[in-house]
Amino acid sequence: MADQPDQSRRNFLYVASAGLGGIAAGAVAVPFIGSMLPAADTLAASKTEFDISTVAEGQLVVIQWQGKPVFVVNRTADMLERTKGHEDNLKDPNSEAIDAVQAGWMDTPEKRTLRAIKPEYLIVVASCTHLGCIPLFKPTAGQKDWGESVPSDWPGGWHCPCHGSFYDLSARVMNGSPAPFNLYVMPYKYTSDSTVLIG
Amino acid sequence: MIDKLMNTAVFKWIDDRSNIGSIIREHVTEYPTPRNLNYMWNFGSLAITVLVLQILTGIFLAMYYKPSAAMTIGGYTVAFDSVERIMRDVNFGWLIRYMHAVGASAFFVVVYMHMGRGLYYGSYKNPRELLWIIGVVILLIMQGAAFFGYLLPWGQMSFWGAVVITNLFGAIPVLGDFIGQLLVGGFAVGDPTLNRFFSLHYLFPLLLAAIVGGHIHALHVVHSNNPEGIDIDHDKETIPFHPYYTIKDAFGVCVFLLAYCYFVFYNPSAGGYFIEVDNYVPANNLQTPAHIAPVWYLTPWYTILRSFESKLLGVIMMGASLAILFVLPFLDRSKVRSARYRPVYRQMVILFFVAVLTLGYCGHASATPVLKVVGQIATAVYFGFFLLLPFVHKFEKTKPEPEGI
Ligand code: HEM
Ligand code: FES
Repeated sequence: MADQPDQSRRNFLYVASAGLGGIAAGAVAVPFIGSMLPAADTLAASKTEFDISTVAEGQLVVIQWQGKPVFVVNRTADMLERTKGHEDNLKDPNSEAIDAVQAGWMDTPEKRTLRAIKPEYLIVVASCTHLGCIPLFKPTAGQKDWGESVPSDWPGGWHCPCHGSFYDLSARVMNGSPAPFNLYVMPYKYTSDSTVLIG
Repeated sequence: MIDKLMNTAVFKWIDDRSNIGSIIREHVTEYPTPRNLNYMWNFGSLAITVLVLQILTGIFLAMYYKPSAAMTIGGYTVAFDSVERIMRDVNFGWLIRYMHAVGASAFFVVVYMHMGRGLYYGSYKNPRELLWIIGVVILLIMQGAAFFGYLLPWGQMSFWGAVVITNLFGAIPVLGDFIGQLLVGGFAVGDPTLNRFFSLHYLFPLLLAAIVGGHIHALHVVHSNNPEGIDIDHDKETIPFHPYYTIKDAFGVCVFLLAYCYFVFYNPSAGGYFIEVDNYVPANNLQTPAHIAPVWYLTPWYTILRSFESKLLGVIMMGASLAILFVLPFLDRSKVRSARYRPVYRQMVILFFVAVLTLGYCGHASATPVLKVVGQIATAVYFGFFLLLPFVHKFEKTKPEPEGI
């Protein structure tokens, strides 16, 4: 009996050394995987200032924030009017689905549907929430200017060229689109009457 | 000639210390090969040929290519300009780049033929399941390598293709954003993305080379299938690989090179199929091209993705369409391998090939409502093939197989 190995002790040692080895391997993986996450200077370049008075009425401007494209639209009274009346055709008319489509300042029903601090200036991330293409701006109603690329009851908005998602003039996604969410809003605030600080 | 070489004193000296001679005899010169293999069995050696070409041309491209999205004074980017410099100023740079770009497409032509052969003649079935599974791993790594490589010229298609594909991972619940960040290395596809894609583009083909070694090892354990799909007598029905199949494979390589050279020298973009037209436009992160589609060899999977209304479902089904290839050997319960003796399976597999081609076409064309439905039908046929397989042996009346080959 004396030279019989103690099996349970051995098993314990196997499990303990394999376990500790596994933990060590996991710890080594942390810096390698961590190194692939955005670097400090990439994270730092994250605020953009923009003068919205440069956007004419009815015009769309695409600017850059964190390397991402951002839409700034100066909506006319007519365009604001056309954000109404098709709520049944929207996936998320009040922008409540996820955090990225809403913001703290959306404190009235109106701000939830117009999705802007100042009603006329819509500022949203310009990446289609499907797979990230930049949707095309098709602001006028109906098929007159856009042909069959938009539905016949088109209220004006955006059409994504990649897989055909539609958004209305508040950048809210329409039913039947592959995109799951409204275009994202990013944090921004007005630092003066006409200057916004994005980020 | 090989015999002469193997009799030299130098070879003997090395052989005494490495046993290389018996490896060569076992795996090349005397490797017993079925005597009835047809030309569909050429695509394996062709795939190795193209892999070698890709690694060779890639290493030389990497001597001049610069993976940076920084702007140059000319208003382009360092990466885009370095590829243009390879095309215009580097000696023979145009040749090496076109060999590499055409080679990528050629690689997929060859490997898809190789896989189609395996499907038709039942080569994935017992005892070659593992061989098939290693092959699917190779396919996935190839697709990864090609995807990483396509970003490098930093043209419009490079850029927007990478945006779309990295966003795909964002659809994965819980871990999606994290994986997306690991791939992109920032808030959006940009300079860090380009650097890591170059690093991985270098790595993946070298991984491939190693895995191809495993693929061939597995083959030489279970031996080649043959067009009849029957087990053969290893003494009477085989011939040594050399010279019979070395010469046949060499002939195949010549025919392949003829086609390859036609494209490299006369038609390198193949009308937008090998190098897409929009990729001659430098990447612009503020403007998506009007029509974006992946290169032809990824379009079947892209169509499956597009066929579903929900983003998550599309991503899952695209993943499933590749993952299901892994379990194919276990779905098929029939004892008969070759489609020659399986009338029902034969119809099914041909329909499956048609479905894949249709999916490929739909993914390349811009999405119209009609094509969308066609794509959805082809997607259904694609999955239907795999779902029906486990039941076919129950009602299929197989034809009698021959005694020998
Ligand atoms: C599995 C094998 C490989 C495949 C399928 C592949 C595929 C590709 C593709 C599709 C491109 C873009 C071509 C273009 O439009 O110009 C590319 C570019 C490139 N590849 Fe590869 N590649 C492979 C192996 C390698 C290897 C081993 C290297 C060595 C480092 C390499 C280095 C490069 C470089 C430097 C470029 C950028 C230059 C260019 O765009 O032409 N590749 N590759
Ligand atoms: S990226 Fe916009 S619909 Fe797919």
